[in-house]
Amino acid sequence: MARPANPHAMAPARPGATRTAPPQIPDDFWSQPRMRTYLLFDATGIVYLLVGLVALRVAWALAAGPEAWRALLHGFSNPLYLLFHAVALAASLFVGVRFFRLFPKAQPAHIGPAKPPPQPVLHAMLYAAWAGVTLALLAILGGVWP
Amino acid sequence: MADEKLRTFVITRFDPDRDQVPKTQSYRVPCRPDWKVLDALNFIKDEIDPTLSHRWSCRMAVCGSCGMNVNGEPKLTCKTALDDYGDTVEIAPLSNFPIIRDLVIEMDGFLEKFQKVKPWVIVAKERAAEEGTYRQTPEQLAAFKQFSMCINCMLCYAACPVVSQEPDFLGPAAIALGHRYNMDSRDEGQPERNRVFRGEGTVFSCSYANECSEVCPKNVDPAAAVNQAKLNAVIDWATSFVVRREG
Amino acid sequence: MKALLLRLEPVIWLLFGAGIMVGTLLLPGYLLTVALGAPLGLLPAHALSYERAHMLAAHPLGRLVLLAVIALPLWKGAHHTRALCVDLLGHGSDALVGSLLYAIALAGSIAGIAAVLTI
Repeated sequence: MARPANPHAMAPARPGATRTAPPQIPDDFWSQPRMRTYLLFDATGIVYLLVGLVALRVAWALAAGPEAWRALLHGFSNPLYLLFHAVALAASLFVGVRFFRLFPKAQPAHIGPAKPPPQPVLHAMLYAAWAGVTLALLAILGGVWP
Repeated sequence: MADEKLRTFVITRFDPDRDQVPKTQSYRVPCRPDWKVLDALNFIKDEIDPTLSHRWSCRMAVCGSCGMNVNGEPKLTCKTALDDYGDTVEIAPLSNFPIIRDLVIEMDGFLEKFQKVKPWVIVAKERAAEEGTYRQTPEQLAAFKQFSMCINCMLCYAACPVVSQEPDFLGPAAIALGHRYNMDSRDEGQPERNRVFRGEGTVFSCSYANECSEVCPKNVDPAAAVNQAKLNAVIDWATSFVVRREG
Repeated sequence: MKALLLRLEPVIWLLFGAGIMVGTLLLPGYLLTVALGAPLGLLPAHALSYERAHMLAAHPLGRLVLLAVIALPLWKGAHHTRALCVDLLGHGSDALVGSLLYAIALAGSIAGIAAVLTI
């Protein structure tokens, strides 16, 4: 039903008059659906770290020359790399959806004289920016323009 | 009575004079259809076991006293209907708090964090009586009103994964209240509060799990307050390099 | 180390914020083309040929976007991986784990700046 939690959680600086039992958490504190989703969200951090480091290889290959570039793309066609990048794509979409939902309410009512747009408007603007940037990258990197 | 339903309550018990660790005890209670969890607890104390200890007061979700874990989730027991549950209900003290006895937790840790954020209007110079009252537009009020609705029930501390793992973390309610004063147009204490927000127990420990806002019974949305506070704290930190100030 | 991390939190949070915002905006477009489209042969032949890819990346804006795709996800990744470690392992190792992760992000960012300047 319940298990001991961090023994120092919410401990007062000065102990009270009677002996207290250490804090507890429910057995399913970390396995509840909402908590699992949050832990998954944090876990995308590992994917993002790897994505950034792999993108470094892209820059190195571009600097090295045509042979290195060809070898890189050939390396990326390895099933393990394809799986990794597919997972990264799923992770970026998952992060985007959750982050864009939580971002609007994290804006203060005002910073000096500046006020953010209403939350639903801001939410829509984020998705519009996402779509716009993605389409632009698809067009440019996909060979449409320039 | 005909419409009563017999339910089993599995309740955490802990007597510091007798027990090494908390244990559970089961009670069978005839529950009326409109009962809340608190009604069952009071029935147990009145009719079955007077040694059961639990906090409660207003019975109408404004005092913040009756927070407990019901089937593992932090709830106000005066506001939680028994009909939402099955035949067995588990009641435990709020997560993440030391336990004084049975369902009563040690609150002093919370009160210490609470005091750290200086939850009062700070002004450099006291306003003279002749100047009259402060005036505030509805828009100025709207900037912080939601965060002033907190009843200090501490359900958010029971739900927060960071409170569970980082003992120094100021926590949702304390940060929300500090932010409430930072956003109050009468207040001039933002620099000192933001220093607290960047110090030990920093607001930046929050990982935006949003659990606090999910369990808050008064729709205060402490997660919004904490994450607004992060942005304000960063702006304050950046401007502190440019603007020399006191305090 | 704990005190140093505390003092750097505002900067770390800003880099994390840029990472999650800009990084997430850029990643789907980059992944669909460079990481998946080109290796799978789904793009037109000329799209990411070396000549064209190099031309795009050598442009000042291209250098900036490539740097953003390298560096910004590193800061988001470091910050969230640190949070995951606190969730799973507690706060005792946080100073060490956090410092290690941010060091990786910093090293990667510097390497990214160097790499992008040599294209």
